[in-house]
Amino acid sequence: MTRRRASRFIPFAALALVVSACGGELTTSEEPAESAAASAGEEFPTGDITIELWTKEGDPQIDFVQALADDYTALHANVTFEVVNKDVELLREDMVNTALSPDAQPQLLWTVLDHVGPLVEAGVIQELGGKFDESVLAEAAQGSGTFDGKVWVAPISIGNQLMLYYNKSIMGDEPPADTDELISIATENTDAAAGNYGFVLNQTESFWLVPWLGGFGGSVFADDGVTPTLDTPEMGDALQFLHDLKYTDGVMPAECDYTCASDLFTTGAAAMIMNGDWELANYTDQLGEDLGVAALPEVTATGEFPKPYIGGTYYMVPSAVEGDTLTVVLDFINFSLAADQQRAQVEQLKRLPSNAEILADPVVTDDPGLQGAGDAVSKGVPQPINVEMRCNFDAMTAAVRDMFGGNDDIEGILATMQTAAENCLATLQ
Amino acid sequence: MNVDQTIGALVEVLTTLAVVAVAVAVLEGFLYVVLVRWLKARLAVPFMLIAPAFVGLIGLIFYPLLWELNVSFTNMSLRNLRDPGFLGLTQDMFVGVDNYVRVFTAPVLQQATFFQVMWQTVLWTVLNVTFHVLGGLGLALLLHRQMRGKGIYRALIVLPWATPQIVALAVWRTELHSEFGMVNQLLAGIGVEGPGWLIDPFWNFFAMVMVNVWLGIPFMMVILLGGLQSIPSDLYEAAEIDGASSRQSFRHITLPLLAPVLTPAIILGVVWTFNNFNVPFVINQNELETSDTLVTGLFRAAFQYNRYGFAGAYAFVIFAILLLFVIFYVRRSGALKGATE
Amino acid sequence: MSGATSVPVVPAAQAGPAAAAAVAKGGGGRTDSFGKRVVIHAVLILASLIAAFPVFRVLSVSLRPEDRLLEREFKLFPEGATLDSFVHVLTDTDFPQWLFNSLIITVGTSIVGLLFAATSAYAFSRYKFPGRGVGLTALLATQLIPATMLLVPLFILSIQLDLKDSYRGLVIAYSVTSVPFSIWILKGYYDTVPIELEEAARIDGASQLEAFWRILLPLSTPALAIVFLFNFLAAWNEFVLARVLIGSSTELFTWPLGVLRFQAQFQTQWGDLAAASILISIPVVALFLYSSKWLISGVTLGGVKG
Repeated sequence: MTRRRASRFIPFAALALVVSACGGELTTSEEPAESAAASAGEEFPTGDITIELWTKEGDPQIDFVQALADDYTALHANVTFEVVNKDVELLREDMVNTALSPDAQPQLLWTVLDHVGPLVEAGVIQELGGKFDESVLAEAAQGSGTFDGKVWVAPISIGNQLMLYYNKSIMGDEPPADTDELISIATENTDAAAGNYGFVLNQTESFWLVPWLGGFGGSVFADDGVTPTLDTPEMGDALQFLHDLKYTDGVMPAECDYTCASDLFTTGAAAMIMNGDWELANYTDQLGEDLGVAALPEVTATGEFPKPYIGGTYYMVPSAVEGDTLTVVLDFINFSLAADQQRAQVEQLKRLPSNAEILADPVVTDDPGLQGAGDAVSKGVPQPINVEMRCNFDAMTAAVRDMFGGNDDIEGILATMQTAAENCLATLQ
Repeated sequence: MNVDQTIGALVEVLTTLAVVAVAVAVLEGFLYVVLVRWLKARLAVPFMLIAPAFVGLIGLIFYPLLWELNVSFTNMSLRNLRDPGFLGLTQDMFVGVDNYVRVFTAPVLQQATFFQVMWQTVLWTVLNVTFHVLGGLGLALLLHRQMRGKGIYRALIVLPWATPQIVALAVWRTELHSEFGMVNQLLAGIGVEGPGWLIDPFWNFFAMVMVNVWLGIPFMMVILLGGLQSIPSDLYEAAEIDGASSRQSFRHITLPLLAPVLTPAIILGVVWTFNNFNVPFVINQNELETSDTLVTGLFRAAFQYNRYGFAGAYAFVIFAILLLFVIFYVRRSGALKGATE
Repeated sequence: MSGATSVPVVPAAQAGPAAAAAVAKGGGGRTDSFGKRVVIHAVLILASLIAAFPVFRVLSVSLRPEDRLLEREFKLFPEGATLDSFVHVLTDTDFPQWLFNSLIITVGTSIVGLLFAATSAYAFSRYKFPGRGVGLTALLATQLIPATMLLVPLFILSIQLDLKDSYRGLVIAYSVTSVPFSIWILKGYYDTVPIELEEAARIDGASQLEAFWRILLPLSTPALAIVFLFNFLAAWNEFVLARVLIGSSTELFTWPLGVLRFQAQFQTQWGDLAAASILISIPVVALFLYSSKWLISGVTLGGVKG
């Protein structure tokens, strides 16, 4: 029973995907990446090495992780892996607590980006800048996980963005072009008495508010990246927009969390859902041809696209790892980022690869689902990963729950949110 | 079921128990030598008897409490995640009574202050205990007679107590969903629109109390039924002969003779309700600060925000409040004398 | 340290043989009028329905053919009722393992806890020694401690002493945490057993230990049974401490941890959760009802003498 139940399933991604800056269209301008440098030239450590890998991937995705490990062991018989699945929140907790007992540290982490902040604070992971082969990374993935000017992660996949899934058999082939169209399509397809809704989303987490904040031109931090700006008019607009969707347009249920929204969509009771890329494989299985994937539509009032936070899945290396073990761990990271392994990842997990070559490969470009996902990523922004961000998420979550709970005093909610964030910052002494 | 895991689990439990047994034996042996042989104490036996239990309690309750007291004077938190040592002095973590001051001056949750949460806890406790007693007493009085189906009623009414709490709470939380839960569907059946039990601040608190009352009445009923059964029936017969009405015999026979049972039950009820964690935590799914009690706030401070030093101070404040209550109330009513004499 | 459990306080004291016999048939000598009886039964029926309804609801969900979280109907036996969820939970999941884990921990710790409590209560009841009053007060004070207050230190200590992610810490913790309450109950009960019986035995040549074992304990069987029952229930249902001390080692899960994991899946498997809940509740409820005769027939709160 941890706070952000839904966030267990959301690999909170972190950081600097400077996508907008380089105008990155993921499907085109990537140069063919060089194949991942093998550690051929160096001497590979001998002696038995065991690598305990904690991963947030559960069934069935963990099979891919295990396969990756097995393939590596096939190449280097003296290296064995112990792949352990830990619930996302527990992974962070357990890792943070290794500060008190360093012997309990694993040798590698496969997790979400928003763990970087707390783990760096607790001093339990080490810098990775220059230690693995960053040249294979797509532009969108380069510079991820930078914090305090240092690189702390190796990206395995890009994604975690919220986007629009829609059911073609209910509303046709084309996604809405802007939010006004979203509202009209949603209203047409809502019949509350029959349990059908036009547009659903998780009403209990701040992650779902963020893209709309971006769409209305706001952001959670001031330019310095640490001062919260949660009581801005743009935030008010975003909250009002969501409030109206629920109470004025009536297109979503009275009470709906992550599971509720997802169930409504997969059972065909909801025409559209705002959810993340991690559901792509699952929704494709369930809806097949009827599934449509697109970026969230442009906000009519501002002409801007909503800006979801971008992240992915990442390797992080615990601070106690050194010597031969470290060499092997880094080599394994390079192995995972290589073309063949990344291709397999796309095929099995349906996630956008961090490897530039594969990102441009037909295995990605020919898949409509991944195409839509890629489009959504291109409109997203890097997620801040400093510890202060947690204060923002917490404050926004309370506000979201308050607003969806029926409170229509947006001004009051803004003030409360800002105060909560400031109070939280004060406790991070 | 995996055979390896099964055997492994069994072995682990058995070895731990074996270690405990050995430790007890060593302890007893040591005490025997010291108390009987060396000090030739006459009262060696009682000490030897209570030693294992008390050593365990010291290790598992008193020492952790001391540790927590120690931490409360440090700033152990996510940024300072290391063993503070004695008062944090050697680790540059000592902050004096700073945490205690913060408990009262800064919000203990995101927004809510100590006093707000304290008030919520008091309200929570008073409402619950009142309804527990009223409901329990009422049902006990109804059942305390010759009647058919008594056993069935008792068995059914005791179900909330018997059902594992996790299970009961998980079910209740589902049923309180404003659209798909049973509660609102039943209300709709009689033409009433049910509120958002899990998302509205007022109704969530109401729901918490409602669920806890549901959980707690059976226990009170059983206690009071036992108490009623120990009142000799000749007293009632005598009263009836003297012309007393049932209300009078209730006031002058039943209540006073129930008091020795009722008073401790109320005190325990107050303590347990005050300290209740499961119900407010699970029913308050959306973490509404208006539904938090002192102990759920403590849990959040410690485990969600990793503010260990602050949580330590907070914990002691809660404990002090409860201790004061018990000391004053118990002293005045003399109710628990039997337990300490 | 209460609060983590959902029950208890209980018996001893006045109970004894005399009182039980005297009033077992149930108070008041008056016969109720017909109208009054109808009202009484109506109220009791309503109370029973309210008490039992969630349990019946879980039963209903466990019999549903598919996981239908958002089903709006309520039927006790839904259309197409099947035992699929039960079969699935018992064969395809780790649920039996969790039940087994819980069972061995619970039985083991209940016995140990009972032993500690029985011997300590004997000391408090039959001896006067310096520190006796303080000891009893300290035991009482432990009941005031909120469970959450001990969680953090126990958690940190378990990391440092390497008791985490194993049963070691949990077994020790469960054995000890019910002890104060158990001592309280047993002492109260022992106090009602006249000491003359043991003294007579001693005069006849029995040692202290034999007097305890052969005289007092057999007479205290109801209280011992109750203490065992409560220790059992407390350990069986315990969740928070288990989560903190076992947390993420899924093969060690006790049933509360395992069952809550069902909720933490992508698609909440309500059918499985409900089936598991029923399976868990049946033995507990049965045990409870079976021992209810000790609970109600002539038992009142411990250590209280008007």
